[in-house]
Amino acid sequence: METKYDFERKYRVQILQCSRCGFCQAVCPVFGATLRPALNARGKMLLLKEVMDGKVQLNDELIETMFQCTTCAACAESCPSGVNVPDIIKQVRKDMVNIGSCHPAFKGMNEVLKNHTNIYAEDDPEDFERERNKKAEYVYFIGCVGSYREDEATLETLDLLDRLNVDYTLIDEVCCSGVLEDVGYDMNEDLVRKNMDMIMATGAKTVITGCPYCSRTFNNKPQYAELKDKGIKVLHITQFLKDFDFGVTTDKLVTYHDPCDLGRHCGIYEEPREIIRKIAPNFVELRHNRVDSLCCGAGGGVRGAYAKNSIAMARRRLEEVEEVGAEVVLTECNSCVHNLANAKLRKQKFKISNISQFVNELMEEAE
Amino acid sequence: MDEKIKQALIDIVGENNYTDSLIDMVSYSCDASEYSQRPSCGVWVETAELVSNILKFANREHIPVVPRGAGTGLTGTATPVDEAIVLDLSHMNKIIRISIEDRLAIVQPGVVYADLEKALAHYGFFFPPDPASGTVCTLGGNVATNAGGVKGAKYGTTRDYVLGLQVVLPDGRIMRTGSRTMKSVSGYDLTKLFVGSEGTLGVITEIILKINPKTTAASTSMATFDNLEDAGRAVSQVMYSGIIPSVLEILGRDTIMAINQNTDLDLPEVDAILLAETDGYTTGETDFQMGKVIEVFNKNNARVVKKAKSEKEASELWVARKSAYAVLSRIKTHVVLEDVTVPMAKIADLLKGIKAISEKHNIMIATYGHAGDGNLHPQFVYDGYDPEQVKKKKAASAELFQLTIDLGGTLTGEHGIGLQKAPFMTMEHDPAAMDVMRGIKRLLDPNNILNPGKMALDKKNGN
Ligand SMILES: Cc1cc2nc3c(=O)[nH]c(=O)nc-3n(C[C@H](O)[C@H](O)[C@H](O)COP(=O)(O)OP(=O)(O)OC[C@H]3O[C@@H](n4cnc5c(N)ncnc54)[C@H](O)[C@@H]3O)c2cc1C
Ligand code: SF4
Ligand code: SF4
Repeated sequence: METKYDFERKYRVQILQCSRCGFCQAVCPVFGATLRPALNARGKMLLLKEVMDGKVQLNDELIETMFQCTTCAACAESCPSGVNVPDIIKQVRKDMVNIGSCHPAFKGMNEVLKNHTNIYAEDDPEDFERERNKKAEYVYFIGCVGSYREDEATLETLDLLDRLNVDYTLIDEVCCSGVLEDVGYDMNEDLVRKNMDMIMATGAKTVITGCPYCSRTFNNKPQYAELKDKGIKVLHITQFLKDFDFGVTTDKLVTYHDPCDLGRHCGIYEEPREIIRKIAPNFVELRHNRVDSLCCGAGGGVRGAYAKNSIAMARRRLEEVEEVGAEVVLTECNSCVHNLANAKLRKQKFKISNISQFVNELMEEAE
Repeated sequence: MDEKIKQALIDIVGENNYTDSLIDMVSYSCDASEYSQRPSCGVWVETAELVSNILKFANREHIPVVPRGAGTGLTGTATPVDEAIVLDLSHMNKIIRISIEDRLAIVQPGVVYADLEKALAHYGFFFPPDPASGTVCTLGGNVATNAGGVKGAKYGTTRDYVLGLQVVLPDGRIMRTGSRTMKSVSGYDLTKLFVGSEGTLGVITEIILKINPKTTAASTSMATFDNLEDAGRAVSQVMYSGIIPSVLEILGRDTIMAINQNTDLDLPEVDAILLAETDGYTTGETDFQMGKVIEVFNKNNARVVKKAKSEKEASELWVARKSAYAVLSRIKTHVVLEDVTVPMAKIADLLKGIKAISEKHNIMIATYGHAGDGNLHPQFVYDGYDPEQVKKKKAASAELFQLTIDLGGTLTGEHGIGLQKAPFMTMEHDPAAMDVMRGIKRLLDPNNILNPGKMALDKKNGN
């Protein structure tokens, strides 16, 4: 039988492979926050199977679950049957967009990136008090959240790079546009071109990104392959900072939140911990850590489209911080910082911060 | 959904706790078994009173109600029937009290097994049944299916730990059974009647569980056997050697071969691998016990015996056993995990019989499981989209059940009867026993509203 959808052509066997064991319920942040099986990975796979069997139509009725997935990959990691749910979901979103069934927030994101340089449609970028587009050894690529929502954190990170005498430049960066692939659309070639041209113009051989998602996009998406071809390396800032000595420590009890984009998606677990070990001898792991890390709830477009549940997911993560009694929770992803900070309750007295920002503050205090 | 019924349910649980949306109905249409049927609606409840109000209404209107925990049941026990209301209990997820002085925990049914484990670990205690689905399944589901796990031989199953319950009967009455004491012979044992009742007699809304202090030391070893009879004999000799291992697991040849074909574990290709663990409070004590186990392994011609020298080595020995389910789940589109159980001395006969059935029907059946309590997991691996293979699978299962009963065993050691094994109930139970079971069902649920169609309790299903 002729199949109607690309998701079926690409992933039919995987979807059939789902044994319905339900093990994903233990790790899916959307299920954890809502306790609604329809939103869990298994619920999504059951629906897609019924779509393939012709019992369910792919239409607006499915938006609520198909567009409510942070693409955190926790399910894929623990699935006994090897089903890669986030990859399947991303393809389904594309199929749904093609037939005109899309969450309005996701559609909005695509429209915004047609006319603006960033996902927030802000036309007046912060200049971070630094010269841009100069010749330098490194390009520091901030990312949309760091540029427009967590700009103070970004300033601290940049201060740290200055303190460490890093020869870097900012560029007039635009959204890496990787996120469009996650929400049902294709990457925006214009934006990709602009970023690559600006990076190459600086003569830098290494790009350091503050955002793990941008780092993933640059490293893995074929649209950015030219960077690699030109010998330009892309590092996440934790990979870059791990070899520095900062000469400062805190005696506070510190913990670390593994961002999904850095951990499960890039396999970077040790570098952030190496940095933290140097500055915080008093370190404690969260209950769910490394490959088992619990998503902050912001990814996959969920923060924009399902804000309430996104915050509920972040709250669950923060409960784990309370559980270990940490005074500081570090991470290195502005999206995580942003969502976790928004979810923090007044009674929760711990500090939430990027590692780089925290290190900079320690160094500043020590001066 | 009939508008009047819908409104009545919304009046009871509130708009936000009622659903008949397509995505929910599909997700409630099955559990981890191969059966599926969409219900007509679902409700989320948080109190026994709400459960009672729903059952009163459903009983009056003769609408089927299917209680549901995490939906990890493997036999279709939580698969709805047509027109059913799914009663989702996962929101009743509070640990009401942990009372170390009384050695018990009182919980709501929707608490996930692993969450209780975590809470108890804080006090150095645990709840032993340890089903492999523990990170997901609910304690209500565990009680309703009498769940067990790898430690069954030494620690028993859920049944051995349930001291008392709060149950909502099909007519809406709320009943307490048992007590908060370690023993009680006061009246019929109503508590145990509900353990393993698969949601057919009442809805469990509170559970009093006995808990155990956690052991602090363990020894682990593994042995390979070229010959199945030797492995079988080793299992029963271990069990009467005077010590009871906390784990005694077996991997059969087909499972070993499948693991080798699909991973780089490179296991020795033998008839059987046994994995044993002894537990206690000092390594002296656990090593002493393990010494006895290894003696039995050697006496029965084990080819290689390995004893773990560290925790790391112990977890390496566990890898093969732990990977079995996942490896077998990836080979074809469909798996069915059986849990037939035989008297301990019959393990080798069961494994031999399974091999013969697998060859006769030309269908893959890989076996592993809890040798220490005679409970094996033959896992059928097949393509459920191929009618020919489905037919073979069906015929092979029926023969597996017959073989088990002929060996003096039981259809199910831990997963329950549900829909899947309902047709075979009379193979195991004599007419008098079936009559009594059906009589109990009629007494408590005369309108047959609670989880109908399961366990061969009504005429429509079974024989
Ligand atoms: C991969 C895998 C491995 C497994 N391993 C094991 C194992 O090692 N040992 C084992 O014993 N089982 C195992 N199981 C089976 C399953 O996890 C258990 O049967 C478990 O107890 C079911 O719990 P649940 O919360 O998912 O219940 P559900 O599947 O939701 O329900 C099971 C039954 O209980 C009833 N029920 C649920 N809650 C209530 C309540 N509050 N009141 C009345 N009735 C209720 C339902 O109506 C249904 O009949 C496994 C399953 C899978 C998928
Ligand atoms: S863990 Fe994998 S196989 Fe199991 S229900 Fe989830 S997606 Fe399906
Ligand atoms: S990727 Fe994350 S959010 Fe999406 S279904 Fe899997 S576990 Fe849930």
